[in-house]
Amino acid sequence: MNHNQQPGDGTHEDDAALSDFLASLMDYTPTIPDELVEHYLAKSGFQCPDVRLIRLVAVATQKFVAEVATDALQQCKARQAAVVKDKRDKQQKDKRLILTMEDLSRALREHGVNVKHQEYFADSPSTGMDPASRDE
Amino acid sequence: MSHGGGNGTKDNEQLEYDASSRPGANDFGRAVSKVAVAQVCESVGFQGFKDSALDALADIAIRYLRDLGRTASVYANSSGRTECNVFDIIRGLEDLEASQGFLGGSEVKNCLAGSGTVRGIVEYVGGAEEIPFTQPVPQFPVIKHRKLIPSFVQMGETPPGKHIPPWLPALPDPHTYIHTPVWNERATDPRADKIEQARQRRKAEGSLLSLQQRLLSSGSAGPSTSRSDAKESDGAQNNPFLGLPLQPGEKDVSLVVSPSKTSDEMVGNIHVSVLEAFAPAIEAVKGGFSDDGDDGKNVLPDVRSAVQLKFRTGKKFLGESLDLSLQNKGVGRAASWVARDEERDDKKRRAEFILRQSTEYPLELNQL
Repeated sequence: MNHNQQPGDGTHEDDAALSDFLASLMDYTPTIPDELVEHYLAKSGFQCPDVRLIRLVAVATQKFVAEVATDALQQCKARQAAVVKDKRDKQQKDKRLILTMEDLSRALREHGVNVKHQEYFADSPSTGMDPASRDE
Repeated sequence: MSHGGGNGTKDNEQLEYDASSRPGANDFGRAVSKVAVAQVCESVGFQGFKDSALDALADIAIRYLRDLGRTASVYANSSGRTECNVFDIIRGLEDLEASQGFLGGSEVKNCLAGSGTVRGIVEYVGGAEEIPFTQPVPQFPVIKHRKLIPSFVQMGETPPGKHIPPWLPALPDPHTYIHTPVWNERATDPRADKIEQARQRRKAEGSLLSLQQRLLSSGSAGPSTSRSDAKESDGAQNNPFLGLPLQPGEKDVSLVVSPSKTSDEMVGNIHVSVLEAFAPAIEAVKGGFSDDGDDGKNVLPDVRSAVQLKFRTGKKFLGESLDLSLQNKGVGRAASWVARDEERDDKKRRAEFILRQSTEYPLELNQL
Protein backbone atom coordinates (compact mmCIF):
# COMPACT_ATOMS: atom_id res chain seq x y z
CA MET A 1 0.00 0.00 0.00
CA ASN A 2 1.40 3.42 -0.96
CA HIS A 3 1.18 5.89 1.87
CA ASN A 4 1.17 9.63 1.32
CA GLN A 5 4.29 10.99 2.91
CA GLN A 6 2.59 13.92 4.55
CA PRO A 7 3.52 15.28 7.97
CA GLY A 8 0.86 15.62 10.62
CA ASP A 9 -0.72 13.41 13.18
CA GLY A 10 -4.15 13.62 11.66
CA THR A 11 -3.02 11.90 8.54
CA HIS A 12 -1.45 9.09 10.46
CA GLU A 13 -4.61 8.65 12.40
CA ASP A 14 -6.54 8.51 9.23
CA ASP A 15 -4.10 6.10 7.76
CA ALA A 16 -4.29 3.93 10.77
CA ALA A 17 -8.06 4.09 10.70
CA LEU A 18 -8.07 3.16 7.05
CA SER A 19 -5.76 0.24 7.49
CA ASP A 20 -7.79 -0.95 10.44
CA PHE A 21 -10.92 -0.64 8.44
CA LEU A 22 -9.48 -2.61 5.60
CA ALA A 23 -8.42 -5.30 7.99
CA SER A 24 -11.88 -5.39 9.47
CA LEU A 25 -13.32 -5.78 6.00
CA MET A 26 -11.99 -9.27 5.89
CA ASP A 27 -14.38 -10.24 8.62
CA TYR A 28 -17.34 -8.58 7.01
CA THR A 29 -18.77 -10.47 4.07
CA PRO A 30 -20.41 -8.11 1.63
CA THR A 31 -23.64 -9.18 0.01
CA ILE A 32 -22.17 -8.81 -3.43
CA PRO A 33 -19.92 -11.81 -3.92
CA ASP A 34 -16.24 -11.33 -4.54
CA GLU A 35 -16.23 -13.29 -7.77
CA LEU A 36 -18.80 -11.03 -9.33
CA VAL A 37 -16.89 -7.92 -8.31
CA GLU A 38 -13.64 -9.35 -9.64
CA HIS A 39 -15.26 -10.18 -12.95
CA TYR A 40 -16.63 -6.73 -13.58
CA LEU A 41 -13.52 -4.97 -12.32
CA ALA A 42 -11.41 -7.07 -14.62
CA LYS A 43 -13.68 -6.06 -17.46
CA SER A 44 -13.02 -2.42 -16.79
CA GLY A 45 -9.28 -2.71 -16.48
CA PHE A 46 -8.93 -2.73 -12.75
CA GLN A 47 -5.97 -4.81 -11.73
CA CYS A 48 -5.29 -5.58 -8.16
CA PRO A 49 -4.37 -8.80 -6.45
CA ASP A 50 -5.36 -7.50 -3.04
CA VAL A 51 -8.55 -9.01 -1.70
CA ARG A 52 -9.18 -6.15 0.68
CA LEU A 53 -9.58 -3.73 -2.16
CA ILE A 54 -12.06 -6.03 -3.82
CA ARG A 55 -14.01 -6.09 -0.61
CA LEU A 56 -13.83 -2.33 -0.40
CA VAL A 57 -15.31 -1.95 -3.84
CA ALA A 58 -17.99 -4.50 -3.03
CA VAL A 59 -18.93 -2.66 0.13
CA ALA A 60 -19.02 0.66 -1.69
CA THR A 61 -21.39 -0.77 -4.29
CA GLN A 62 -23.53 -2.29 -1.62
CA LYS A 63 -23.75 1.04 0.12
CA PHE A 64 -24.79 2.69 -3.12
CA VAL A 65 -27.51 0.15 -3.75
CA ALA A 66 -28.71 0.41 -0.19
CA GLU A 67 -28.96 4.19 -0.49
CA VAL A 68 -30.99 3.95 -3.67
CA ALA A 69 -33.20 1.29 -2.14
CA THR A 70 -33.78 3.37 0.94
CA ASP A 71 -34.81 6.34 -1.12
CA ALA A 72 -37.16 4.17 -3.15
CA LEU A 73 -38.61 2.76 0.04
CA GLN A 74 -39.33 6.22 1.30
CA GLN A 75 -41.06 7.06 -1.96
CA CYS A 76 -43.11 3.90 -1.71
CA LYS A 77 -44.14 4.61 1.86
CA ALA A 78 -45.04 8.17 0.98
CA ARG A 79 -47.22 6.90 -1.82
CA GLN A 80 -48.91 4.40 0.44
CA ALA A 81 -49.57 7.07 3.05
CA ALA A 82 -51.21 9.23 0.39
CA VAL A 83 -53.40 6.39 -0.72
CA VAL A 84 -54.40 5.39 2.75
CA LYS A 85 -55.55 8.89 3.42
CA ASP A 86 -58.08 8.61 0.64
CA LYS A 87 -59.32 5.08 1.06
CA ARG A 88 -59.19 3.19 4.26
CA ASP A 89 -60.23 -0.02 2.54
CA LYS A 90 -56.99 -0.48 0.72
CA GLN A 91 -54.93 -0.27 3.84
CA GLN A 92 -54.61 -3.98 4.20
CA LYS A 93 -54.11 -4.55 0.51
CA ASP A 94 -51.14 -2.24 0.16
CA LYS A 95 -49.32 -3.50 3.17
CA ARG A 96 -46.60 -5.08 1.08
CA LEU A 97 -43.79 -2.79 0.03
CA ILE A 98 -42.94 -3.50 -3.55
CA LEU A 99 -40.14 -1.94 -5.51
CA THR A 100 -41.61 -0.41 -8.63
CA MET A 101 -40.05 1.34 -11.56
CA GLU A 102 -41.62 4.60 -10.66
CA ASP A 103 -40.18 4.75 -7.17
CA LEU A 104 -36.85 3.56 -8.46
CA SER A 105 -36.64 6.18 -11.18
CA ARG A 106 -37.45 8.90 -8.68
CA ALA A 107 -34.81 7.69 -6.29
CA LEU A 108 -32.20 7.34 -8.98
CA ARG A 109 -32.77 10.78 -10.34
CA GLU A 110 -31.10 12.24 -7.31
CA HIS A 111 -28.07 10.13 -7.94
CA GLY A 112 -27.83 11.38 -11.46
CA VAL A 113 -29.18 8.30 -13.20
CA ASN A 114 -32.01 8.91 -15.61
CA VAL A 115 -34.21 5.88 -15.87
CA LYS A 116 -37.36 6.33 -17.84
CA HIS A 117 -39.96 3.65 -17.89
CA GLN A 118 -41.82 3.09 -21.12
CA GLU A 119 -45.55 3.11 -20.82
CA TYR A 120 -47.40 0.17 -22.20
CA PHE A 121 -50.64 1.71 -23.24
CA ALA A 122 -51.80 5.25 -23.53
CA ASP A 123 -54.23 4.76 -20.72
CA SER A 124 -53.04 7.50 -18.45
CA PRO A 125 -53.48 11.09 -19.49
CA SER A 126 -49.85 11.97 -18.84
CA THR A 127 -48.50 9.43 -21.28
CA GLY A 128 -46.10 10.83 -23.81
CA MET A 129 -46.16 14.26 -22.30
CA ASP A 130 -43.01 16.16 -21.62
CA PRO A 131 -41.72 15.55 -18.14
CA ALA A 132 -42.92 18.97 -17.10
CA SER A 133 -45.34 17.43 -14.71
CA ARG A 134 -42.55 15.23 -13.44
CA ASP A 135 -39.32 16.45 -11.94
CA GLU A 136 -36.52 17.09 -14.36
CA MET B 1 -42.81 -10.75 -8.61
CA SER B 2 -44.60 -9.50 -11.62
CA HIS B 3 -43.42 -7.83 -14.76
CA GLY B 4 -43.94 -4.19 -14.08
CA GLY B 5 -44.85 -2.79 -17.44
CA GLY B 6 -43.31 -5.76 -19.16
CA ASN B 7 -40.07 -4.10 -20.14
CA GLY B 8 -36.86 -6.03 -19.79
CA THR B 9 -33.31 -4.95 -19.46
CA LYS B 10 -33.13 -3.57 -22.99
CA ASP B 11 -34.58 -0.35 -21.68
CA ASN B 12 -31.52 0.35 -19.62
CA GLU B 13 -29.16 0.09 -22.51
CA GLN B 14 -30.51 3.35 -23.78
CA LEU B 15 -28.26 5.00 -21.27
CA GLU B 16 -25.13 6.59 -22.57
CA TYR B 17 -22.74 4.03 -21.21
CA ASP B 18 -20.93 1.71 -23.53
CA ALA B 19 -23.18 -1.22 -24.26
CA SER B 20 -20.38 -3.67 -24.77
CA SER B 21 -22.28 -6.26 -22.80
CA ARG B 22 -24.09 -8.65 -25.07
CA PRO B 23 -26.87 -10.69 -23.45
CA GLY B 24 -25.29 -14.01 -24.13
CA ALA B 25 -22.02 -13.62 -22.34
CA ASN B 26 -23.21 -11.70 -19.34
CA ASP B 27 -26.25 -13.65 -18.31
CA PHE B 28 -24.59 -15.31 -15.38
CA GLY B 29 -23.16 -12.10 -14.00
CA ARG B 30 -26.49 -10.37 -14.35
CA ALA B 31 -28.33 -13.17 -12.64
CA VAL B 32 -25.92 -13.17 -9.72
CA SER B 33 -26.06 -9.42 -9.35
CA LYS B 34 -29.84 -9.54 -9.49
CA VAL B 35 -29.88 -11.89 -6.54
CA ALA B 36 -27.38 -9.80 -4.61
CA VAL B 37 -29.29 -6.58 -5.20
CA ALA B 38 -32.51 -8.26 -4.17
CA GLN B 39 -30.89 -9.33 -0.95
CA VAL B 40 -29.72 -5.79 -0.25
CA CYS B 41 -33.16 -4.38 -0.95
CA GLU B 42 -34.72 -6.95 1.28
CA SER B 43 -32.46 -5.92 4.11
CA VAL B 44 -33.50 -2.30 3.54
CA GLY B 45 -37.12 -3.23 3.99
CA PHE B 46 -38.73 -4.16 0.70
CA GLN B 47 -40.96 -7.19 0.68
CA GLY B 48 -41.42 -7.60 -3.03
CA PHE B 49 -39.97 -6.45 -6.30
CA LYS B 50 -41.24 -5.75 -9.72
CA ASP B 51 -39.15 -7.73 -12.14
CA SER B 52 -38.30 -4.80 -14.37
CA ALA B 53 -37.36 -2.63 -11.42
CA LEU B 54 -35.08 -5.29 -10.04
CA ASP B 55 -33.48 -5.76 -13.44
CA ALA B 56 -32.89 -2.04 -13.70
CA LEU B 57 -31.36 -1.80 -10.26
CA ALA B 58 -29.12 -4.77 -10.86
CA ASP B 59 -27.95 -3.29 -14.10
CA ILE B 60 -27.21 0.01 -12.39
CA ALA B 61 -25.24 -1.76 -9.69
CA ILE B 62 -23.15 -3.45 -12.35
CA ARG B 63 -22.53 -0.15 -14.09
CA TYR B 64 -21.54 1.43 -10.81
CA LEU B 65 -19.07 -1.36 -10.25
CA ARG B 66 -17.58 -1.00 -13.67
CA ASP B 67 -17.44 2.75 -13.43
CA LEU B 68 -15.63 2.56 -10.14
CA GLY B 69 -13.14 0.13 -11.57
CA ARG B 70 -12.61 2.19 -14.66
CA THR B 71 -12.11 5.41 -12.75
CA ALA B 72 -9.72 3.77 -10.35
CA SER B 73 -7.67 2.28 -13.16
CA VAL B 74 -7.59 5.64 -14.93
CA TYR B 75 -6.21 7.26 -11.80
CA ALA B 76 -3.65 4.52 -11.43
CA ASN B 77 -2.55 4.87 -15.02
CA SER B 78 -2.25 8.61 -14.65
CA SER B 79 0.09 8.03 -11.75
CA GLY B 80 2.22 5.76 -13.83
CA ARG B 81 1.10 2.51 -12.27
CA THR B 82 -0.66 -0.48 -13.69
CA GLU B 83 -2.00 -1.87 -10.46
CA CYS B 84 -4.54 0.08 -8.49
CA ASN B 85 -4.32 0.81 -4.81
CA VAL B 86 -6.69 2.01 -2.18
CA PHE B 87 -6.25 5.66 -2.99
CA ASP B 88 -7.25 5.12 -6.56
CA ILE B 89 -10.44 3.56 -5.32
CA ILE B 90 -11.09 6.40 -2.93
CA ARG B 91 -10.60 8.88 -5.74
CA GLY B 92 -13.01 6.90 -7.87
CA LEU B 93 -15.57 6.90 -5.09
CA GLU B 94 -15.24 10.62 -4.71
CA ASP B 95 -15.84 11.05 -8.39
CA LEU B 96 -18.98 8.98 -8.35
CA GLU B 97 -20.40 10.65 -5.34
CA ALA B 98 -19.48 14.13 -6.38
CA SER B 99 -22.89 14.78 -7.85
CA GLN B 100 -24.62 13.78 -4.72
CA GLY B 101 -22.15 15.33 -2.36
CA PHE B 102 -20.35 13.83 0.55
CA LEU B 103 -19.01 15.13 3.73
CA GLY B 104 -15.90 17.19 3.19
CA GLY B 105 -16.21 17.24 -0.54
CA SER B 106 -15.37 20.86 -0.95
CA GLU B 107 -12.24 20.75 1.14
CA VAL B 108 -8.88 20.33 -0.39
CA LYS B 109 -7.39 17.34 1.20
CA ASN B 110 -3.87 16.21 1.21
CA CYS B 111 -4.58 12.85 2.59
CA LEU B 112 -7.21 10.77 1.00
CA ALA B 113 -7.49 8.49 3.94
CA GLY B 114 -9.65 10.97 5.73
CA SER B 115 -12.00 11.39 2.83
CA GLY B 116 -15.67 11.71 3.54
CA THR B 117 -16.45 8.78 1.33
CA VAL B 118 -14.31 6.51 3.40
CA ARG B 119 -16.00 7.68 6.50
CA GLY B 120 -19.33 7.07 4.91
CA ILE B 121 -18.35 3.54 4.10
CA VAL B 122 -16.97 2.94 7.55
CA GLU B 123 -20.23 4.11 9.00
CA TYR B 124 -22.17 1.92 6.70
CA VAL B 125 -20.16 -1.14 7.52
CA GLY B 126 -20.51 -0.40 11.18
CA GLY B 127 -24.24 0.06 10.95
CA ALA B 128 -25.47 -2.46 8.40
CA GLU B 129 -25.84 -6.10 9.29
CA GLU B 130 -23.84 -8.64 7.46
CA ILE B 131 -25.75 -10.44 4.78
CA PRO B 132 -23.57 -12.86 2.88
CA PHE B 133 -24.56 -13.96 -0.55
CA THR B 134 -26.95 -16.90 -0.45
CA GLN B 135 -25.10 -19.32 -2.64
CA PRO B 136 -21.46 -19.93 -3.41
CA VAL B 137 -20.46 -18.32 -6.65
CA PRO B 138 -17.89 -20.08 -8.76
CA GLN B 139 -15.02 -18.30 -10.35
CA PHE B 140 -16.26 -16.92 -13.61
CA PRO B 141 -15.92 -16.49 -16.48
CA VAL B 142 -14.75 -20.02 -16.98
CA ILE B 143 -12.02 -20.12 -19.56
CA LYS B 144 -12.20 -23.23 -21.65
CA HIS B 145 -8.78 -24.47 -22.61
CA ARG B 146 -9.04 -25.32 -26.22
CA LYS B 147 -7.25 -28.40 -27.31
CA LEU B 148 -5.11 -27.26 -30.16
CA ILE B 149 -4.18 -29.44 -33.06
CA PRO B 150 -0.54 -30.47 -32.60
CA SER B 151 1.92 -29.13 -35.10
CA PHE B 152 4.10 -31.18 -37.39
CA VAL B 153 6.99 -30.85 -35.03
CA GLN B 154 4.92 -32.00 -32.07
CA MET B 155 3.63 -34.97 -33.99
CA GLY B 156 7.06 -35.92 -35.12
CA GLU B 157 6.10 -35.83 -38.75
CA THR B 158 7.70 -34.10 -41.66
CA PRO B 159 5.30 -31.99 -43.64
CA PRO B 160 4.56 -33.35 -47.10
CA GLY B 161 6.05 -30.55 -49.13
CA LYS B 162 8.74 -28.05 -48.63
CA HIS B 163 6.34 -25.15 -48.75
CA ILE B 164 4.75 -26.18 -45.46
CA PRO B 165 6.65 -25.00 -42.37
CA PRO B 166 6.83 -27.54 -39.57
CA TRP B 167 5.31 -25.32 -36.91
CA LEU B 168 1.91 -25.38 -38.59
CA PRO B 169 -0.78 -27.79 -37.33
CA ALA B 170 -0.41 -31.28 -38.70
CA LEU B 171 -2.53 -32.54 -41.55
CA PRO B 172 -5.35 -34.89 -40.59
CA ASP B 173 -4.85 -38.63 -40.79
CA PRO B 174 -5.80 -40.14 -44.13
CA HIS B 175 -8.38 -42.42 -42.59
CA THR B 176 -10.46 -39.39 -41.68
CA TYR B 177 -11.08 -38.38 -45.24
CA ILE B 178 -10.45 -41.49 -47.34
CA HIS B 179 -13.24 -43.96 -47.30
CA THR B 180 -12.12 -47.57 -47.54
CA PRO B 181 -14.97 -50.01 -47.59
CA VAL B 182 -14.82 -52.72 -45.00
CA TRP B 183 -16.52 -55.97 -45.69
CA ASN B 184 -18.12 -57.74 -42.83
CA GLU B 185 -16.35 -61.06 -42.86
CA ARG B 186 -18.65 -63.60 -41.49
CA ALA B 187 -18.40 -67.30 -42.14
CA THR B 188 -21.66 -68.36 -43.71
CA ASP B 189 -22.49 -71.84 -44.67
CA PRO B 190 -25.54 -71.65 -46.92
CA ARG B 191 -25.97 -75.38 -47.04
CA ALA B 192 -26.05 -75.78 -43.27
CA ASP B 193 -28.44 -72.87 -43.04
CA LYS B 194 -30.80 -74.47 -45.49
CA ILE B 195 -30.69 -77.78 -43.70
CA GLU B 196 -31.46 -76.11 -40.41
CA GLN B 197 -34.27 -74.14 -41.97
CA ALA B 198 -35.81 -77.26 -43.48
CA ARG B 199 -35.57 -79.08 -40.17
CA GLN B 200 -37.37 -76.29 -38.38
CA ARG B 201 -40.03 -76.21 -41.02
CA ARG B 202 -40.58 -79.91 -40.64
CA LYS B 203 -40.99 -79.53 -36.93
CA ALA B 204 -43.45 -76.73 -37.42
CA GLU B 205 -45.43 -78.72 -39.88
CA GLY B 206 -45.43 -81.72 -37.62
CA SER B 207 -46.96 -79.78 -34.79
CA LEU B 208 -49.39 -78.13 -37.16
CA LEU B 209 -50.44 -81.51 -38.41
CA SER B 210 -51.02 -82.84 -34.95
CA LEU B 211 -53.13 -79.84 -34.14
CA GLN B 212 -55.15 -80.39 -37.23
CA GLN B 213 -55.61 -83.99 -36.26
CA ARG B 214 -56.97 -82.99 -32.95
CA LEU B 215 -59.39 -80.77 -34.79
CA LEU B 216 -60.52 -83.66 -36.86
CA SER B 217 -60.51 -86.19 -34.06
CA SER B 218 -62.98 -84.22 -32.03
CA GLY B 219 -65.56 -84.68 -34.75
CA SER B 220 -67.81 -82.06 -36.35
CA ALA B 221 -68.82 -80.45 -33.11
CA GLY B 222 -65.75 -78.42 -32.64
CA PRO B 223 -62.01 -78.42 -32.13
CA SER B 224 -62.01 -78.96 -28.40
CA THR B 225 -60.70 -82.23 -27.09
CA SER B 226 -62.01 -84.49 -24.38
CA ARG B 227 -59.09 -83.52 -22.16
CA SER B 228 -59.91 -79.86 -22.01
CA ASP B 229 -63.40 -79.98 -20.61
CA ALA B 230 -62.93 -77.21 -18.16
CA LYS B 231 -61.76 -74.74 -20.72
CA GLU B 232 -64.44 -75.56 -23.18
CA SER B 233 -67.15 -74.48 -20.83
CA ASP B 234 -65.96 -70.93 -21.24
CA GLY B 235 -65.98 -71.21 -24.96
CA ALA B 236 -69.41 -72.76 -25.03
CA GLN B 237 -70.96 -69.63 -23.65
CA ASN B 238 -69.63 -67.53 -26.48
CA ASN B 239 -69.90 -69.77 -29.47
CA PRO B 240 -72.18 -72.73 -30.08
CA PHE B 241 -69.42 -74.34 -32.06
CA LEU B 242 -67.24 -74.50 -29.03
CA GLY B 243 -69.51 -76.92 -27.24
CA LEU B 244 -68.42 -80.16 -25.66
CA PRO B 245 -67.32 -82.70 -28.18
CA LEU B 246 -69.85 -85.25 -29.21
CA GLN B 247 -68.75 -88.81 -29.20
CA PRO B 248 -68.92 -90.49 -32.54
CA GLY B 249 -72.38 -91.74 -33.19
CA GLU B 250 -73.96 -89.86 -30.29
CA LYS B 251 -75.83 -87.42 -32.37
CA ASP B 252 -77.07 -87.56 -35.88
CA VAL B 253 -75.25 -84.81 -37.56
CA SER B 254 -74.37 -84.33 -41.12
CA LEU B 255 -70.74 -85.19 -41.51
CA VAL B 256 -70.52 -83.13 -44.67
CA VAL B 257 -70.12 -80.01 -42.60
CA SER B 258 -66.37 -79.76 -42.56
CA PRO B 259 -65.10 -79.01 -39.13
CA SER B 260 -62.21 -77.10 -40.64
CA LYS B 261 -64.53 -74.26 -41.53
CA THR B 262 -65.83 -74.09 -38.03
CA SER B 263 -62.35 -74.25 -36.72
CA ASP B 264 -61.36 -71.50 -39.06
CA GLU B 265 -64.23 -69.35 -37.94
CA MET B 266 -63.54 -70.11 -34.37
CA VAL B 267 -59.89 -69.39 -34.78
CA GLY B 268 -60.71 -66.15 -36.53
CA ASN B 269 -63.07 -64.89 -33.84
CA ILE B 270 -61.87 -65.98 -30.49
CA HIS B 271 -58.22 -66.48 -29.99
CA VAL B 272 -57.85 -66.89 -26.30
CA SER B 273 -60.11 -69.84 -25.96
CA VAL B 274 -58.50 -71.45 -28.94
CA LEU B 275 -55.12 -71.16 -27.35
CA GLU B 276 -56.47 -72.69 -24.23
CA ALA B 277 -58.03 -75.40 -26.26
CA PHE B 278 -54.83 -76.05 -28.12
CA ALA B 279 -52.63 -76.00 -25.06
CA PRO B 280 -53.13 -79.67 -24.30
CA ALA B 281 -52.77 -80.35 -27.97
CA ILE B 282 -49.45 -78.66 -28.00
CA GLU B 283 -48.37 -80.67 -25.04
CA ALA B 284 -49.66 -83.75 -26.70
CA VAL B 285 -47.46 -83.07 -29.68
CA LYS B 286 -44.44 -83.63 -27.57
CA GLY B 287 -45.91 -86.67 -26.00
CA GLY B 288 -48.24 -89.10 -27.54
CA PHE B 289 -47.92 -88.53 -31.19
CA SER B 290 -48.97 -91.98 -32.12
CA ASP B 291 -52.12 -91.79 -30.06
CA ASP B 292 -53.40 -88.85 -31.98
CA GLY B 293 -52.64 -90.58 -35.13
CA ASP B 294 -54.78 -93.51 -34.07
CA ASP B 295 -57.66 -91.28 -33.15
CA GLY B 296 -57.37 -89.45 -36.35
CA LYS B 297 -57.53 -92.57 -38.36
CA ASN B 298 -60.99 -93.40 -37.13
CA VAL B 299 -62.57 -90.12 -38.04
CA LEU B 300 -60.57 -89.06 -41.01
CA PRO B 301 -62.29 -91.21 -43.63
CA ASP B 302 -65.47 -89.28 -42.96
CA VAL B 303 -64.05 -86.05 -44.15
CA ARG B 304 -63.77 -86.22 -47.89
CA SER B 305 -64.43 -82.74 -49.08
CA ALA B 306 -61.62 -80.49 -50.13
CA VAL B 307 -60.27 -78.60 -47.22
CA GLN B 308 -60.19 -74.90 -47.75
CA LEU B 309 -57.90 -73.63 -45.08
CA LYS B 310 -57.95 -69.95 -44.40
CA PHE B 311 -55.13 -69.40 -42.07
CA ARG B 312 -55.13 -65.65 -42.16
CA THR B 313 -55.55 -64.63 -38.57
CA GLY B 314 -55.43 -68.03 -37.17
CA LYS B 315 -52.18 -68.84 -38.76
CA LYS B 316 -50.47 -65.89 -37.21
CA PHE B 317 -51.76 -67.10 -33.98
CA LEU B 318 -50.92 -70.72 -34.56
CA GLY B 319 -47.54 -69.66 -35.70
CA GLU B 320 -46.97 -68.01 -32.38
CA SER B 321 -48.08 -71.01 -30.44
CA LEU B 322 -45.84 -73.14 -32.55
CA ASP B 323 -42.99 -70.80 -31.90
CA LEU B 324 -43.60 -71.17 -28.22
CA SER B 325 -43.43 -74.88 -28.50
CA LEU B 326 -40.26 -74.66 -30.50
CA GLN B 327 -38.70 -72.28 -28.05
CA ASN B 328 -39.53 -74.59 -25.28
CA LYS B 329 -37.50 -77.15 -27.06
CA GLY B 330 -34.60 -74.77 -27.11
CA VAL B 331 -34.42 -74.11 -30.80
CA GLY B 332 -33.01 -70.76 -31.84
CA ARG B 333 -35.35 -69.05 -34.17
CA ALA B 334 -33.30 -65.96 -34.87
CA ALA B 335 -32.62 -66.74 -38.47
CA SER B 336 -36.17 -67.57 -39.34
CA TRP B 337 -37.76 -64.37 -38.11
CA VAL B 338 -36.37 -62.48 -41.02
CA ALA B 339 -38.39 -64.06 -43.80
CA ARG B 340 -41.45 -64.77 -41.75
CA ASP B 341 -44.00 -63.77 -44.36
CA GLU B 342 -42.48 -65.94 -46.99
CA GLU B 343 -42.31 -68.74 -44.51
CA ARG B 344 -45.95 -68.34 -43.75
CA ASP B 345 -46.90 -68.73 -47.38
CA ASP B 346 -44.63 -71.69 -47.64
CA LYS B 347 -46.07 -73.15 -44.51
CA LYS B 348 -49.54 -72.61 -45.77
CA ARG B 349 -48.82 -74.48 -48.94
CA ARG B 350 -47.06 -77.26 -47.15
CA ALA B 351 -49.79 -77.50 -44.56
CA GLU B 352 -52.41 -77.87 -47.23
CA PHE B 353 -50.27 -80.43 -48.91
CA ILE B 354 -49.83 -82.38 -45.72
CA LEU B 355 -53.48 -82.32 -44.88
CA ARG B 356 -54.39 -83.46 -48.32
CA GLN B 357 -51.96 -86.26 -47.96
CA SER B 358 -53.26 -87.13 -44.53
CA THR B 359 -56.81 -87.35 -45.77
CA GLU B 360 -55.83 -89.47 -48.71
CA TYR B 361 -53.16 -91.58 -47.05
CA PRO B 362 -53.97 -91.92 -43.41
CA LEU B 363 -51.50 -94.75 -42.95
CA GLU B 364 -48.51 -92.63 -43.81
CA LEU B 365 -49.04 -90.06 -41.07
CA ASN B 366 -46.34 -91.36 -38.82
CA GLN B 367 -43.84 -91.28 -41.57
CA LEU B 368 -43.78 -87.49 -41.96
